Amino acid sequence: MNAVEAQLDRIRGEVAPKSHNARTIAALTSNPGCARRAIMDAAGVDKQRLAAYAGFPAPFGQSQFAIGRGNAFEAQVKANGCAELLKLFREHLGLPVPEVSYDNLEDVGGITTLPVRHARTRALLARAASEGPDAGTLFDHPLLRLEVAGRPVYLEPDLIAFHLHGRFHVVEIKSFPVIDGQADGDKVAAAAIQSAVYVLALRGLLAEFGTGQEAVADTVVLVCPENFSNKPTAALLDVRRQLTVLRRQLSRLERVESLLSLLPPELTFDLDLDATGVPRRAPGALAAAIRTVEARYAPECLASCEMCFFCRDEASGRTAALGRVIRDELGAVDEVSAVLGLADGTLVPGEEQAEATAVLRAARRLRHECLSGAA
Amino acid sequence: MAGRRRQASDTGLGEDWNLLEITGGMYSPLVTQEMEALERRIESLRVLARQAVASGERDRARGLRAELRQAERQWDEALARLEAESAQKLDPAAGSEPPDAAGRSRARGVSGEHSGSAALLPAREQVHQALTLLGGPAAPRLIVAVHGALYAGSLPVARLTSLRRDEERSFRSAPYARPYYVCAALTADLLAPARGLLAISAWPMDRRIIGPLSPRVDYLIAAIRIAERFRDLDISGASADSRRLLWRFAANIPRAASSISTMDPDEIVIAARAELAVHERADSDLRTIGAARARAQLDDAEQLFGAGLRLSRSASGDS
Repeated sequence: MNAVEAQLDRIRGEVAPKSHNARTIAALTSNPGCARRAIMDAAGVDKQRLAAYAGFPAPFGQSQFAIGRGNAFEAQVKANGCAELLKLFREHLGLPVPEVSYDNLEDVGGITTLPVRHARTRALLARAASEGPDAGTLFDHPLLRLEVAGRPVYLEPDLIAFHLHGRFHVVEIKSFPVIDGQADGDKVAAAAIQSAVYVLALRGLLAEFGTGQEAVADTVVLVCPENFSNKPTAALLDVRRQLTVLRRQLSRLERVESLLSLLPPELTFDLDLDATGVPRRAPGALAAAIRTVEARYAPECLASCEMCFFCRDEASGRTAALGRVIRDELGAVDEVSAVLGLADGTLVPGEEQAEATAVLRAARRLRHECLSGAA
Repeated sequence: MAGRRRQASDTGLGEDWNLLEITGGMYSPLVTQEMEALERRIESLRVLARQAVASGERDRARGLRAELRQAERQWDEALARLEAESAQKLDPAAGSEPPDAAGRSRARGVSGEHSGSAALLPAREQVHQALTLLGGPAAPRLIVAVHGALYAGSLPVARLTSLRRDEERSFRSAPYARPYYVCAALTADLLAPARGLLAISAWPMDRRIIGPLSPRVDYLIAAIRIAERFRDLDISGASADSRRLLWRFAANIPRAASSISTMDPDEIVIAARAELAVHERADSDLRTIGAARARAQLDDAEQLFGAGLRLSRSASGDS
């Protein structure tokens, strides 16, 4: 085990690591400058548990019931050689009738370790890419790999379908419904960016065998229940925009190694659990440890990161906490108190704050006019 | 997938395989262990939280209460899982509904009459019945659905999860003592047991081999055999469950039927045969080759229950 892994293990403490998945990667790339998140995700820290123990429980989490419902729907559409999926693919992708081949990559002769599954996934997909439709159509529980912040992360999409025109399509199976042709916009957006992560990973895998990018379609197939029934329907999602954003953000992720080198070597987020699993470490000490790693809070964090309330509390009083637009406009002014002081004239602006001050004073005047006019 | 291997002494069955299926007591040992650990932690957290409040350590009290909430939530979820499992065992047709006063499940025939009795046969024989009709390897869910729709007596799906393992033990302790065993289907490439499929030992080897096209081929064959069964009996008197079962196939086969109310078994058979003709040859070639390999390379028990791959010590380097 190398030094990076050892340091990440020490930071995480004596618990099993939570693995990255497409959801966490998508969230990570939406805030690439946040070292705190980058370190915690790389170390596989249970952010929800840490935030709650430090006194800032996250406002969201995945309920076990939602997970169960999702698993049941996925099992249903994949049953019997993916009978329901084949019907959808024939209708929506023009999958020809002879192409029904099904390969299950969940285990390899009883072995379920990630490296073995990944090796077999590579072998089967490479063969399909070079030999054409006879060499495989449906690949269930494939195991892909993507380099994130300088480290490999294993990823498991729901399915990859491959058909006659020589292209692989990533398939995502979700249990949120499509009602009268409409689905929850946020959920669809999340599914789109997660699928884009898989598309990137799949392109990377095939590139190792000399297969071009276009072999993986930039439309993904989203399978959801239709209306209020269990009957599945499929929609094609164009993820070109998400792919562009992801590629750019992934390249901007600083390598975890360089982030780690800035941290004290004995840093740990370990809860120091006793024999029954109760934390012994004082919450204050944990919070102090977390604060040694710099965060980059923005209101968007509230929707995607379990540490959001902790970081928001830390950032309160600073303009950065109000969002990127405001932070960009008021670039040179860090503190909210300074903003207010410049606006009402109690503070004298420095040279680089002159422009921001003019904007603030005008805004204050307008606000005053609006409020007194309304009275 | 990992778990404590069940011992014969756990169930009190010993080697007597003629008993009816197991009832009670064999809930997933993993869930119970998990709940016991959670109960210890919850107890500990309550005491420590109370002490922290009493001694004025507000931060620690708040942190411990957050941990307590999470542990209690995990306990609730584990309890729900346990509940779902036990309800399934008592009345598989009702899913999570509680059993009626007599604790019995309903029997179903194609004509929909209720005979009001519990399982008439041991689970292994019910599985044999359903698989014989289906004609090829099938998943437990399909076996239970076919049995529920077309045969009398209930078949709890939970009983099937351990059936293959039980049958293997029975075979290894007394090979060929029984006329048939519920066994595995083997993957053509690795000759390993295919996940989630059951087969009958009396079938020829190539019927118990699975190639990439086999899931679809076996699905079409099942559709044909169920539709033919409908043709032999009077479909107008068929129960809702039977119609739904047939529709589950017809809906996913091109040109088999346009709606559940206009389903015609003859049309379904024709449509399924049409698609089957496309895949049949390639599938049977692969199965034949796989079967020959299996007979050459595997011993009797492995031909029925599969050979697993084992990592050699030197190869299993990383996690």
